[in-house]
Amino acid sequence: MPPANLEPELTLLARMKKGEEAAFAALYQRHKDAVYRLALLYAGSAALAADVTQEAFVFFMTRPGQYDPARGTLAAWLCGVARNLARRHFTRREDATDPQDLADDAAPREEHIERDTPLEKLLRDEAAEEVRRALMALAPHYRDVLILCELSELSYAEAAQVCGIDIGTVRSRLSRARAQLAQRLLPGRQGRGEGSKEAVT
Amino acid sequence: MNTDIPNDSPRDPLLDLKLDAARRGLAREAAPGELEAALVARFRKLPRPMSRPRFWWMPPLALAAVVALASWIVRAPLSPANDGISIETSGGDAGPFLALRPLERIALEPGTRIVSTEFPRALLADWGLPVAPDRAGEPVRAEMLYSADGEPLAVRLLQ
Repeated sequence: MPPANLEPELTLLARMKKGEEAAFAALYQRHKDAVYRLALLYAGSAALAADVTQEAFVFFMTRPGQYDPARGTLAAWLCGVARNLARRHFTRREDATDPQDLADDAAPREEHIERDTPLEKLLRDEAAEEVRRALMALAPHYRDVLILCELSELSYAEAAQVCGIDIGTVRSRLSRARAQLAQRLLPGRQGRGEGSKEAVT
Repeated sequence: MNTDIPNDSPRDPLLDLKLDAARRGLAREAAPGELEAALVARFRKLPRPMSRPRFWWMPPLALAAVVALASWIVRAPLSPANDGISIETSGGDAGPFLALRPLERIALEPGTRIVSTEFPRALLADWGLPVAPDRAGEPVRAEMLYSADGEPLAVRLLQ
């Protein structure tokens, strides 16, 4: 969740823009782990996640003016940068989602299913690995909201900022994504809760 | 856990348990320590933004003031040519001013003024100027440089 008072962070940002090294280091300390974890979720390997994290903060230090405080938190903006960088690494493995597919709850296309195990080093226990496999089987636009809202714990507004969609779309996608995830993780639970209506679509 | 999960869709506790497990696994991960040093080093190499100090205009202004003051102090209002006798020339047919007092003093005199006048040529002898005896009674036109209190400082003969 974003800090209630953004003023200290904006003060740090202003000092960083003036070239103050300590201010950049402080901002890095605040956001490094969140950016790295998000990069891990998208990139899958620790080495790639470290690369993505580094690229994201280099982007930040060289183009701090691209962050607009009026449009959202720095945390969400950095997550958006990391997400875009990570996805760029995998564009060959993951095609852009056809907007037609966003209109319904169609089952993920075969090419959207990542059969690699990019998170296996990240999610070590059995339950987590099970979640990972189910996540990777979802269409990217559903995976996005699950990663951002459920695993990175961004707010709806921040997830909307990252994905470039409105909050209502985040809500509806998350609801459908949870239903699809439940369908994959809890096949015996169909007919109850989230799996009752949407997982069968 | 995200606290603004919609209330309009029922949550499945078993799904939440599995997501919690994934979150716990993720929470154990942290950015590699060596990244910070590399990034700070990179930040250090960035060109510094141009910023003017608050009183950036003071040094050039002070320099200009010093130059102006120095030039006013050392300026030579009277030409040092002609062994210090000629103090000034004017246009037209007028000759040079002949100093009747030391140049250094004339240079420091405030409020000097030039007055056109006519006086007997014999008066030139009082100032140490040569006068032909046969013309001593003739009047001569001249411009006089007076100090503020009326003391003659220099003279320029017009004829």
